[in-house]
Amino acid sequence: MNAIEVKNLKKSFGDFQAVQDATFSANAGEVLSLLGPNGAGKSTTISMLSGLLTPTGGDASIMGHSVTKEPELAKASLGVVPQDIALYPDLSARENLVFWGKMYGLRGAALKSRVDEVLEIIGLTDRQKDHVGKFSGGMKRRVNIGAALLHKPDVIIMDEPTVGIDPQSRRHILDNVKELNRQGMTVLYTTHYMEEAAELSNHIAIMDKGRVIAYGSHDELIKMVGQETRIDVTLNAEAEKILDAWRATEGVARIDSLDGKITALVDDSNRVLPRLFDAASKHGVRITSVDIQEPNLETVFLHLTGRALRD
Amino acid sequence: MRILDLALKDLSQMLRDKRSLFFIVVMPIIFTLFMGFAFRGISQSDEEVDNRIPLALVDPQPDSRLNKMFFTRLDSSGAIKVMVMNENEAMDAFRKGEVAGVLVIPDGFSEQVEAGNEAQLNLIAETSSSEGQSIYQLLRVPISQLMSAVEIARISADLQSNPAEYSPAIELAWSKWDENSKLSLVSVEQAATEKSSDWTGGNPYNQASPGILVQFAIFGLITSAQILVQERKTRTLQRLMTTAMKPWEIVAGHLLAMFTLTFLQTILLVVFGQLALNVNYMREPLGTLFVCVALGLWVASMGLLIGVIAKVDEQVILFSMIAMFLFSALGGLWFPLEAAGGAFAAIGKAMPSAWAMNGLQNILIRGLGLESVWMAVGMLSAYALGFFLLAVWRFGKMDV
Ligand SMILES: Nc1ncnc2c1ncn2[C@@H]1O[C@H](COP(=O)(O)OP(=O)(O)OP(=O)(O)O)[C@@H](O)[C@H]1O
Ligand SMILES: [Mg+2]
Repeated sequence: MNAIEVKNLKKSFGDFQAVQDATFSANAGEVLSLLGPNGAGKSTTISMLSGLLTPTGGDASIMGHSVTKEPELAKASLGVVPQDIALYPDLSARENLVFWGKMYGLRGAALKSRVDEVLEIIGLTDRQKDHVGKFSGGMKRRVNIGAALLHKPDVIIMDEPTVGIDPQSRRHILDNVKELNRQGMTVLYTTHYMEEAAELSNHIAIMDKGRVIAYGSHDELIKMVGQETRIDVTLNAEAEKILDAWRATEGVARIDSLDGKITALVDDSNRVLPRLFDAASKHGVRITSVDIQEPNLETVFLHLTGRALRD
Repeated sequence: MRILDLALKDLSQMLRDKRSLFFIVVMPIIFTLFMGFAFRGISQSDEEVDNRIPLALVDPQPDSRLNKMFFTRLDSSGAIKVMVMNENEAMDAFRKGEVAGVLVIPDGFSEQVEAGNEAQLNLIAETSSSEGQSIYQLLRVPISQLMSAVEIARISADLQSNPAEYSPAIELAWSKWDENSKLSLVSVEQAATEKSSDWTGGNPYNQASPGILVQFAIFGLITSAQILVQERKTRTLQRLMTTAMKPWEIVAGHLLAMFTLTFLQTILLVVFGQLALNVNYMREPLGTLFVCVALGLWVASMGLLIGVIAKVDEQVILFSMIAMFLFSALGGLWFPLEAAGGAFAAIGKAMPSAWAMNGLQNILIRGLGLESVWMAVGMLSAYALGFFLLAVWRFGKMDV
């Protein structure tokens, strides 16, 4: 049985289709990343999985329980870390965790010891008595995650848990995810940082404009772009002067210009790069910097959409 | 159980803020006292508490037959409050205005009268004042009755030529007067009750205490409905929806918290009214309890509705204020609807706040029994249900 199963999931707001036929799944005990730029439909998908939004079409299940037909059972095996901090700022970290533990049905000694455990996991044992409202962004994010762990769910969904925080807290959170996964939790991890997806995931679903445009393991996705290498170039002149000439150059799979930076996917940088320099000279354009990148998820996204993952 | 946990969380958030305690407890008490003073001024109800005219009685021989008879009669009067004093005390009290008059019974009064001699009672009173006039009129009747009873007894003893007949005859004559004068006393007492059935029923706090109680129950919504808005703003409501908590449980938890707060506040004000202001809620404890519960239900469901409709704290304050002023003014919390009359009173009487007042005042002012609050309790519960359904409907449509 798949821990998470999403089939032809749809959501429209009026005429606007925020999620269109999303299909993907996660095996029990794996980390699945949902990678996509702003507005791709990640949070909308997660809201449907966690029962906050009713799908316009299709269905999804958590641990075999349909989120539309058996929402209570699905929710019981699910922990959700929302994209926005969802805590009571006027309660302390501990009070927040105790309250959420109760909402998940924990009581008495079991609750107390689980709260202690979770405080340990998120590294806030010594700040547990402070009001959450006084915490830094990173600390709030950690409590935000902790609140979803109390009932030891089989599946945990995290919606961009590392947005806008310091590198230390980010590291802490990524390590948490790995540790939780090592203990057997299935994790659905949403991000627009391809490094995070690459580091954490067994499988990655890439979303763009409401659709899942690619799905596979990290290596499988990289193979989609074959041997293509990404070259970022900046010029001392307008990109338009040279773009057509470079596009016609042999060995260039795709070339796009974004904010004065030109990004090309080429099959062999050693062979293609001298040709690009030649063409530049002929057009009287000088290359001011060159950056060669081995294929990565960013390259994959570029390959599929012609746009960068981050804008 | 989770419903209870949610309600307890809400309550601890509400009471955490010391300012809300001030608004919920201290302010209504101050307002009650203030309104009570204001009513005292316009309802001349000071005297109504004990509207008998105070009279000092100076009686050197209280144990003589006629003195005793006369005193008993005066003391049982509904119009005169007799205070026995010696002459100096009496004159002192008169000068200070503590008594409206001083009645001096001369030494040997009983003996003189029964011996058939002249004896005069001495009334010292301000004859130009209405109280002085009243007391003179009020005393004239029993005194002339007393004199005539003596006369009748003497005549009857003479007729039968048996002096032993005198005693039973005077007792009989006096008791006959007593029966007759009961009739006139009744009319005096009726006049007094009519006068005191002004809208405060003799105690200005009978209007101020329940009025402020209902008004501040609504005012308390500012605290309790904000919890709901905060819940949405901090996205904790969304998180609640991702737990296995069912939507109706979330609604019930918040409603329970609001009810508890309103109810506790109401009970506190009832206790304060009873103990400090002599507002007799405990005359019908069950009736008071039922009205308070129904009031709490209505106010809580209105709070739920406000919490669901309002988008920001400022709107909560605005909506609560509107509700408070609307229901206070229209519902007769500040002044009785009878005083307004017309369409205003007709609309006002349908308001839930007016029903709450009606229920409480049936107990406090009209002195009615438990069955007199059923209508008020029923109407309040119906309003509560209406507001509750509206709130649940809006909650379902809410964008989370
Ligand atoms: N309630 C709504 N009503 C109308 N449009 C909505 C609503 N919620 C989301 N959308 C739109 O749906 C699209 C997808 O939004 P969503 O929040 O799922 O994106 P996302 O991938 O999570 O983006 P981000 O990385 O910024 O969080 C966006 O264009 C958004 O404006
Ligand atoms: Mg999002």
